[in-house]
Amino acid sequence: MVNKKARNDIILIAAVILIAAIAIVCLLFFKKEGKTAVVYVDGRLYGKYQLTESITVDIHSENGTNRLVITDGKASIEDASCPDLRCVRHYAISRDTEQIICLPNKVVVSVE
Amino acid sequence: MKRFFCAILLASTLTCCLSLYSCTTPSKKYSDYTFDYFDTVTSVTGYAQSQDEFDQAFNRISDLLKEYHQLFTIYDRYDGINNLTTVNELSGGIHKPVKVDRKIIDMLLFSKDMYSKTNGRVNIAMGSVLSIWHEYRQNGIENPSTAKLPTMDELTEAAKHTDIEKLIIDEQASTVFLSDPEMLLDVGAIAKGYAVEQIAQTLIQSGITGYVLNVGGNVRAIGLRGDKTPWVAGIDDPNGTESSPYYATLALEDRSLVTSGSYQRYYTVNGKDYNHIIDPDTLMPAERYISVSILCESSAVADALSTALFCMSVEDGTAILDSFGDVEAMWVSPDGDIQYSKGFSKYIQGDNT
Repeated sequence: MVNKKARNDIILIAAVILIAAIAIVCLLFFKKEGKTAVVYVDGRLYGKYQLTESITVDIHSENGTNRLVITDGKASIEDASCPDLRCVRHYAISRDTEQIICLPNKVVVSVE
Repeated sequence: MKRFFCAILLASTLTCCLSLYSCTTPSKKYSDYTFDYFDTVTSVTGYAQSQDEFDQAFNRISDLLKEYHQLFTIYDRYDGINNLTTVNELSGGIHKPVKVDRKIIDMLLFSKDMYSKTNGRVNIAMGSVLSIWHEYRQNGIENPSTAKLPTMDELTEAAKHTDIEKLIIDEQASTVFLSDPEMLLDVGAIAKGYAVEQIAQTLIQSGITGYVLNVGGNVRAIGLRGDKTPWVAGIDDPNGTESSPYYATLALEDRSLVTSGSYQRYYTVNGKDYNHIIDPDTLMPAERYISVSILCESSAVADALSTALFCMSVEDGTAILDSFGDVEAMWVSPDGDIQYSKGFSKYIQGDNT
């Protein structure tokens, strides 16, 4: 009798933990959003673009223009008015916290 | 059956509690940028409970950056402020001690200390030599077709005025005096890292944690991320590709990462690149490495040591690391060969991308 009670308790505890775990995983899963390319110009938010989209945006700043292209889940600068063109040479970004920065035009593209 | 419902009830209570708990801890990530200070971009990322709370921290960081920038710059004058530009200009002119803010005194004392701890490999009194390179580099970047190298004559002449003992600091009077009127200060190898560390300490003292400051590649992590995991920073591979852009990615908790790289600032003369880190012995750009990265708590130490170690062998660099303790380094030689200090590997993240 005692053994059976103990066994039921273990089943109860196991069930509680299992259901809680499933619920938390579901919550976390649904909370997760798609990755976004966030554009800042001189420290101000300029726009947010889903990496799942396929778009071309001309980012206009005081000092010129940078052409942002999002395709295949990656963001890159394809053309720019800046003299050094470091932002254009930068590889396409897609991982969380990766950035392309154009110092002359004060443009930041960041994956968030 | 009753037990089953009981289990579901308990489970949902537990879930709710956990969800509530995760809502009460700072879990939302915010970022902001400024291009106004130290001739570079500053990014601030932090975990806060609201945009307001983050903005407050960001504005505080910006204000401090502005203050340190205005004090430490050697290129600009500001009304009512005696900064290092003033010190450089007045030392040759009136040739008298200049009264400056205590923050400048402390930074110069730190710089002198780093000079002696690195056997002179990082010398803020090298301004006369560095200003020549600065001018040639700027001209070379603006007009690549007429890019030239300075002559050894003008460099050796300027190098006669780089004795750091001629930088006279009077702590009591809070004055700075360059007793050699031809001498110039250039704090480019130290000031940014020093400022970042002072700002980090100010934040820590006000109980702020869960932030990372990145001032032009000078990275300082304060605490952990919102999910209690370390911050992650990559060391750039200038020849890297989209699939492998970094030499290494590192886990940072209350740590700074500073990299000195030959690819960061340079100009090209007759097809050859000349970087901005000048070896005090040869007076020419140091060419031993592609980059040297320093990992330690203080961003000021990391900044100074990354320049110092760039100008010496791995063996000499290791001896200096040993004299500091709890400072790690990574050297990349021109052929891409990577060397690590003893304890460096424990910071490397498993996934190298």
